[in-house]
Amino acid sequence: MHVPDGIVPVSVAAGGFAAAGGVTWLSLRKIERAHTVPRNGVPKASLLTAVFFMASLIHFPVPPTSVHLVLSGLMGVVLGWYAFPAILVGLFLQAVMFQHGGLTTLGVNACIIGIPALLAHRVFTLRTRFGARRRAAGTAALGFVAAFVAVALGAAAASLLIVTTVPAHLDAVVERTAVTALLFAHVPLGVIEGMFTAIVVLFLLRVQPGLLEERF
Amino acid sequence: MLARATLAAPTATSLARWEVRLKLIGLLCLVFAFAGVNDVRLLPVMLATAFVVYRLSSLPFRYLISRLKVPGIFLVALAVVLPLFSGETVIAQFGPVALRLEGTVSFVSIAARFVSIITVATVLFATTPMPTLVRAMNSLGLPPLLGDMLLFTYRYIFQLAEDLSRARTAARLRGADLGSVRSVKTTAYIIGSLLIRSNWQAERVLAAMTLRGYGASRARSPRHAPQAWDVAGLVACVALAAVLALFPVLVL
Repeated sequence: MHVPDGIVPVSVAAGGFAAAGGVTWLSLRKIERAHTVPRNGVPKASLLTAVFFMASLIHFPVPPTSVHLVLSGLMGVVLGWYAFPAILVGLFLQAVMFQHGGLTTLGVNACIIGIPALLAHRVFTLRTRFGARRRAAGTAALGFVAAFVAVALGAAAASLLIVTTVPAHLDAVVERTAVTALLFAHVPLGVIEGMFTAIVVLFLLRVQPGLLEERF
Repeated sequence: MLARATLAAPTATSLARWEVRLKLIGLLCLVFAFAGVNDVRLLPVMLATAFVVYRLSSLPFRYLISRLKVPGIFLVALAVVLPLFSGETVIAQFGPVALRLEGTVSFVSIAARFVSIITVATVLFATTPMPTLVRAMNSLGLPPLLGDMLLFTYRYIFQLAEDLSRARTAARLRGADLGSVRSVKTTAYIIGSLLIRSNWQAERVLAAMTLRGYGASRARSPRHAPQAWDVAGLVACVALAAVLALFPVLVL
């Protein structure tokens, strides 16, 4: 789901930076409004970002290849409005340290992964509607849905972007086939991420439910 | 993997000593100018510029190759798709497989941009320590909260890499098969535990930092006035970037 350097036209890259700048501004504004001392949340958000960064390096085999976790859904669930700046930071470090993604496509990638993470956060907040008896099942189900939706939206955005901006000479049928193939290739990842997120949120609900409640 | 991502770059080179804010602006101008290059005639100029910048950094070429390997997989995929399926002008036919001009040109442009951008970006980040770079980004307008998050995350990635590796080794010793999809549950428990431990650690870190005055005032980064050659380097980069960006207009 990371768009590398040199792929998209510079106008798309600039648009990505503008959009990412806007969402970052909105996120920082929400964080500042929610906290008397916003910077007190920085150590916690950063340490959790570092955990997500490391976890995203774990691969699961999906023959004939393997997939690595994206964790945009889980980041949205746990970090709330901190998720977008955290993803921006994580993507920057991935681009600098491993060349995953790219520097010129940082804004585009942040939007592809970060905006679905914020939507996942909104989806997960619906769990407050479940009663105490169905709290665990509801949390797991919404964790799965939030992660699956985040991966699906990210994959759709990345596939559309790559196929529509790179090869100017592909005909419509090939283009449509490529988008469909790329989307289907992400279905196993969506399912794995959904299961992974559901298990993690259930674990947190049992061991430290405060981590799912507080928006530091 | 983390070990591969870090390198003690030569510090005695002119690029390592270049004033960080000017280096950041200059090299980023080049990177974005490269991203906008579409004219095939400019590709050699772009590649040569990236090569010269890399030579000036005195970084080993093996290091650059190692940086190109992972994202290169995407390039390999494009090398198959674009020349064979994109375009109508056939330049070579191998049985049922046709090599097309438009797709080949597209692929060569993307590959050249990709290599040039990664080369210059590698120089920027390998010749500047992360804390120095973040301070420079802060002084250029990066919100303090983002700068702090960047530094903290970078600081703890290495520790968490060790924690994660230790937890996975312990799980393997207890018989977990972490190489299969069935291990999702075990891996999720490991990550859940790391999240909880990191949450506790963050509370201790915040308390320690507050005692040291974190948040009371912004630490001013030590700055030295740019020398003439620092400015000359910036002017050269910006001028080259402007030529690359304006070339289509200038030629017309």
